[in-house]
Order: sequence, then C-alpha cells, then structure tokens
Amino acid sequence: MKLSKHWGYLFLFFLVFVIPVFIKSEYYLHILILSVINIILTSSVRAIAVTGQVSMGHAGFKCIGAYTSAIIAMKLGLSPYLSIFVGGLAALLVAGIIAYPITRVKTVYFSMLTMFFGIVVTLVTSEWRSLTGGTTGIINIPSFGTIKVFGMVIDFNSKLPNLYFALILMVIVLFFLYGLDRSYIGMTLKSISQDDSLAASIGINVARYKAIIFCIGCFIAGLAGSFYAHYWGILNPDSFSLFHSIYLLIYMIVGGTDRFVGAVIGAFILTLLPEVSRVFQEYQPLVFVAVLYLVVFLLPRGMVELPHQMKPLIRMFYQGRAEPHARN
Amino acid sequence: METIWQGIFNGLVMGWIYVLVALGLTIVFSIMGIVQFAHGEIYMLGAYCTYWIAVVLGLNVFIALLLSALIMGFVGIILERLLFRRFRGQIEGSIIVAIGLILLLQTIAAIGFGTQDKWIPTTIAGALNIWNIKIPWERALSVITGIILVLALFLFIRKTKMGQAMVATSQDIEAATLQGIDVNRVSRVSMAIGCALAAIAGSLMGAVFGVQPVMGSYAMEKGIAVIILGGLGSIWGAVIGGLLLGLIDGLVPLGANTTVASIIGFSLIVLILIVKPQGFLGHE
Amino acid sequence: MLETKKLTKNFKGVQAVSDLDLNVRAGEIVGIIGPNGAGKTTVFNLITGYLQPTKGEVIFNGKDITGQKPHIIAQYGVVRTFQLDRIFHNFSVIHNVVTASHLYARIGLWEAAFDTSGYRKKNRNTGEYAGNILKLIRLDDKKDEIARNLSHGHQKLLGIAIALAANPKVLLLDEPLGGMNPAEVDRTLEIIGEIRKQGTTILLVEHNMQAVMKICDRIVVLNFGIEISRGLPEEVQRDKEVIQAYLGTKKDYT
Repeated sequence: MKLSKHWGYLFLFFLVFVIPVFIKSEYYLHILILSVINIILTSSVRAIAVTGQVSMGHAGFKCIGAYTSAIIAMKLGLSPYLSIFVGGLAALLVAGIIAYPITRVKTVYFSMLTMFFGIVVTLVTSEWRSLTGGTTGIINIPSFGTIKVFGMVIDFNSKLPNLYFALILMVIVLFFLYGLDRSYIGMTLKSISQDDSLAASIGINVARYKAIIFCIGCFIAGLAGSFYAHYWGILNPDSFSLFHSIYLLIYMIVGGTDRFVGAVIGAFILTLLPEVSRVFQEYQPLVFVAVLYLVVFLLPRGMVELPHQMKPLIRMFYQGRAEPHARN
Repeated sequence: METIWQGIFNGLVMGWIYVLVALGLTIVFSIMGIVQFAHGEIYMLGAYCTYWIAVVLGLNVFIALLLSALIMGFVGIILERLLFRRFRGQIEGSIIVAIGLILLLQTIAAIGFGTQDKWIPTTIAGALNIWNIKIPWERALSVITGIILVLALFLFIRKTKMGQAMVATSQDIEAATLQGIDVNRVSRVSMAIGCALAAIAGSLMGAVFGVQPVMGSYAMEKGIAVIILGGLGSIWGAVIGGLLLGLIDGLVPLGANTTVASIIGFSLIVLILIVKPQGFLGHE
Repeated sequence: MLETKKLTKNFKGVQAVSDLDLNVRAGEIVGIIGPNGAGKTTVFNLITGYLQPTKGEVIFNGKDITGQKPHIIAQYGVVRTFQLDRIFHNFSVIHNVVTASHLYARIGLWEAAFDTSGYRKKNRNTGEYAGNILKLIRLDDKKDEIARNLSHGHQKLLGIAIALAANPKVLLLDEPLGGMNPAEVDRTLEIIGEIRKQGTTILLVEHNMQAVMKICDRIVVLNFGIEISRGLPEEVQRDKEVIQAYLGTKKDYT
C-alpha cells in the first residue's frame, strides 16, 4: 500500500514538472501559471479559514505584495528575486497590524471586515496615483531577467521559465502549509474553529494562533502577488477586486474545505474552467455557474468527495459486469 | 455655502437609495438568517425591468416602477423557495449559491441588454430652486420615495398581523413556530418585500445614474456597509446608517472625490467591525 | 491552594454571586451544591476567567489570578470542564485528548511544519500521554471513534479527559454527572477518585446529592449566589438552612 502511494507521488511529480516542457501554446502556459498562483492563494486562504476566519479580502494582500514588489524593483532598482520577498513582507506587515484586533471578531463579521478591508486596499491603490499609477496602473515591471544555471541560459521573458518558477514556489508553499496542516499545530488550529472556548480552557492562546496563521496566510498572498507582478509585467487595481477574493473562497469551498488538497483541486479546475469554456463566449459564465451548482447540490463536501461518491457507483458497475458470469 | 447644501442634498438622494437596499437586506437577514448576497442583482434586474417596461413597452415610468417591484418581489419568492430555503443556515453552501446567482443574473443581463448604459426615462422633469440650490425633481424622487416607503414599512410592521409575525420570527424562530406562525410564509413575504425594495432602489438609481449589469455589486457593497453601520436586523439602523453613508458620499466629493468618499466610508466600517460589530442599533 | 475572597458578580442589578469565600486545599475534593440558579456555574466562570468579577479576588497558590484570560489561567494549572457537552466534535477521541495535551506537548510552529525528529519524538510522547489519560478515563477502547458519535455519558467523560490532558493542578468539574444513568454515575465517581489519587485537587459543581455526599471531602452550599452552609457532607445534610433552600425547589436525585 505504502509503496504504491510513493509511486503515485512520483508520477504526480513527473506529471507536474515534465509536462510543461511539451506545452507550446503561450496561452495555455499563461493559464497554467495563473492556476498555479491561484493554488498558492487558495491554499493560503484555506490555512486561515481553518481557524474559523474566512477572509473575503485575500486579494487585497495579493495587491499589497504585487504593488510593493513592483514599485521597489522599479524605483529602487532592487532585483525582482529580492523584491518579491519585500512584497511578501509588506503584506505581512499590514496583516500584522490588523491581525490581533481582528481575532476577537466573530465569523460573519470577520468575513465582512476582511471584505471591506480588501475593498479599501483596492480603492486606495486606485486613488494613490503618484505611487501606484492609479487606475491606469503600472507597466513595464521588470521580469526575473535572464540567469545562467548549470551553463543553461534561462530567459524569464518567455513563459515557460516563469511556470517553473511558479511551480517551485507552489511546491515550497504547499510543503510548508501541508506540513503545518497535518501536524499538531494544524490540529490545534482546527480545534479553534470547532470550539474556541474549549480550546482556551485547556491553555490554547486562541488569539495568538489566529493572528499568526492570519499573518502567514497573508504573507503568502503577498508573495504570490509579487510573483504575479514580475511575471505579467503589468498591474492595475482591477486584478485585485472583491470578486477575486470571493473567487478564492469559491475555489476553496468547491474544492472542499475539509481536506487540504481540496483547495488545490478547486483552484486548478476552476481557474482552467473559464478558459476551457471560452468557446461559449458570452455564455461562458453560465458554464461556471452550472459547475458550481452541480457541486453544491451533489457534492456538499466539495470536489474532493467525488472519488468517495463514485465508489458505490463503481462497485455497482463492476457487480453488474460480474453478474452474467455468476449466473451460470 | 451653496455647494455644501448641494452636497447634502446629493448625499440624501444617495442615502435614501442605500436605505432602500439595506432595508431589504436587513429584513431578509433578520427573518432568514442569511445575508442574501445576490440582493444587488435583484436591484440591478429591477432597474432593467423598469427600463424595459418603460422604454421597450413604452408604459408610463411610474407604472413601470410599480410593475418592476411586483415582478422582482415575485422573483424573490421563487428564489426563496428554490434556493435559499434549502441552504438556510449553511454558510458555505449559501455563499456558493449566491455567487452562482450573481454570475447567472449578471450574465443574463449582459446578454439580454448589452453592457452599454441604459437610461430610464425621466420621471419628473425640471427642478426646484430653493436658496440657489438646484433640486432636480428626478433626484428628489429618491428622497420622497424613500421616506414614504420607510413609513409604509413601519406601519406595516406595527399594524398588520403579518408585520407582527415578521417581528416575532426575527426574534425567535422557534417561539414563533410554537405560536402558530407559518414561518415559511413569513420568509416568503420578507423576501418579496426585500426584493421589491431593491427593485425600486435600483430603478431610482438607474434613473439618475444609468443602468449597467454591474451596478448591483456597487449597491451591495454600500448595502452591507449600511447594515453593519446600523446593525444587522435593525430597520432604524438601516435608515440611519444609509443616510449617514449617503451623506459621506455626498459631502466628501466636494473636497476630494467619490473614491475617497468610499475609502472613508468603508474604513469606518472596518473600524466599527473591530470595535463594535453590532453597529449602532444592532442586537445579537 | 485555590482561594476566592469575597468573590462577587453583578449582572445588571442581579447579584449572581455575593461575597464568596472559598478555600480549597491541595488534594481535596470540594463540592459546590445548591438549587438551580444558585450561581454555581457562574463561580466557575469567575474563577477561570470566562467572566470578570465585579468585586473580589481569586488566588491560586498565592498568586492573584483574578480576571485573567482563560488560557492563561489554564496554563497556571486551573482547568475546568463545561456543563454543556464541550468536546471537539469532528475529531476522534484520541485526537481530542492529544489536542488538549497542548500544554504538555509544547510543540513549536516550525518544528511541526518541517516534521523534525524533535517534533516526532514529542509527538510520540504526547501520544503516550494521551493514551494514559484515556486509560484512566476508561475510554481507551473508543479511542478512534469520532467524538460526535459517542453517547452522552461518554462525551461527558471525554470532556473530563480533555481537561485532564491540560495537566491541571486543580480540576474544576462542572456538573460531570449531568444526564448520566446510575451505572455511569458510579463509574464516573470511581474515575474522579482515581484522579484525586494521582494528586489532582478537585472542585466540583453537581446536582446529584447522593454522589456529592459520597465523594466530596467538604461541601459548600449556595443559594441565590450566597453561601448558606459549608462543612463535612454529614453536617451540611442536616443543616436546616440547606433543607429549607431545597424544599421550595424540585429535589434532584438519580
């Protein structure tokens, strides 16, 4: 059993890292990069949600990271490899300021608070023309340049290297978050969402855990945003609107909040879906809605549930197949 | 000095529209326990409905308004039956359902009416001139309608059996059931009222600022801000909160612009949520 | 070990608790009884930081812990259970206790995320620790069951296990026998006895008279938030005031 699990992971690894080489379409590479960024973002919003804090302003932190990194790289000449961390830190800083006060805010109110926070971030970004270029945004953001690794020249002005960079970031982030989720700390975080009074009664500093995971999640969002800035080269506030924050939550919920991998699956499939269904043109959102409704009505625990729900159907199928032989 | 009064007037015009949106939200929240996130889309559809009846069918604008409110109220009842009742109390499910609805309705509106601004024909032409301030009747209509509707709502709740039933249900749904109140019927009526109010609000806004498929999203942002200011579930809170937010949106642009007004308004909400989530008059 | 001095709590004009002086000595089992609404759970809430006292002090081992945050008070060694079933419903029984072993485990964020060998060792120890607690509470045969599927009586025991995992010096049990049948009551009393033998001091609130008389060293009786009697079980049983207080209310026996 264990051996096959390891082969499974190896195969997945192969799939994820080798397949991209064969993708020639710039368009599909772009979509994959976006989906990888969304995987990172959705996993980080889920990490925060595990403590009962459902953030509807996550795109706001992505925005802070993106603009900070772009501006630092352009105005101070810092290398993008470093400025993305500055972007992450900027998001972390802002998150840190509000993290503690918002731990006392209950569920629905927390979501609304983060929603308005995200909106304010976007509005400030559109308003602060001197710094951020306002609604027109920033263009010509430096990419990750060209570097030499093992004698190979990697040019980040083309899409493939960016995809690999994103994948590496994703693996690191997921490794960390998954490790956390599976661990004792993860269990403690999940206990907070189930009953925070009980958690406090056994010595768990609920506020501290909530605040720290909020900061970590927002740091990751800032990092992802910074990467996006240097990959895409263009920024404007519309990319970080409320709808983006809500989409992250949709990816999380539709994928399945209970399991860690739900966020990954949800983000991947639902980022690809609108692109794949482009053929329908202006009707394309309806396909998205259809999928949403299918999941919410048939798979209440999210897409992760699909294999589980399919098991009885598969069993029936195989039994049906076996019958004719048995009936001798 | 005139500009300040102009600002106040504009603020009141916007404010009463916010009040109407927020009232719908707050009523649905207090009876059904959910924040109906697709409320903005009802507002938007109400505006398009009025536009269609008035422009395409050519009926009198006021009749169009009335019909639109009735139609949207009816739509509300259908939605309650099909979707919201099933997901009552389920936060995750109802969010997905609401977002799905938003996308669905916005897409339908975009496909049906196109994304270009549509205009609802002038209700009352001309303007009033008081103390050198120009008060277009069209805009004043929002204020008048808002006041009338709030008073009507107040009377409805105080004087009718259904109104009383709504109050009882909003306070304690189980106790209300025990008293023999048909809670499902109360939910339907609340939804209908909420949606009708939204439709009227959308139409009023559409007459002044035009009708677009995305107008609902902006309305929702303001609507939720108002109910937080005034307290979820509180009708008077919705009125006070709506007018307050409206005044901010009316006065701040005099010194800055509408974006700054929104920044101030929403930052205020964030602060309130940190300090006193229940708002001014909220309970729970 | 645990004292309260003139502990008082007013709720908008209603005196829930008035001038309560408690003194629990190490190794004792002290019981607080009284008719419904006598303020018993409020006392627990005041001691453990879930409510701020209007007046008075709470002192633990000489340290003033009045009105501090619940998790800090738990870290000092004063842990409570809850009257209404409070458990982590979605976790298995063993996970409930392991989570509650938080103070014992002392696991840091980074070692957990990166699965270091130090972390794994702490994990093993905690697992053992939790297992021992489950054995004491006699729930070890159910350790992999999901908490919400347990019977009421077992959930109450799990609540005690959770509190115990936090390594308390004083354990405050809020109606541990609520809703239990006689067999469950006897088993729970045995378990409480064993907990005391391990060196934990116990303060409990209960309605079940016979059980209280059986297990407590001393008893304090509250009515309307005021102490009306205290002393050994036999003394209190015969106290006229206590009998008076209970006469007007439903008698609780199992």
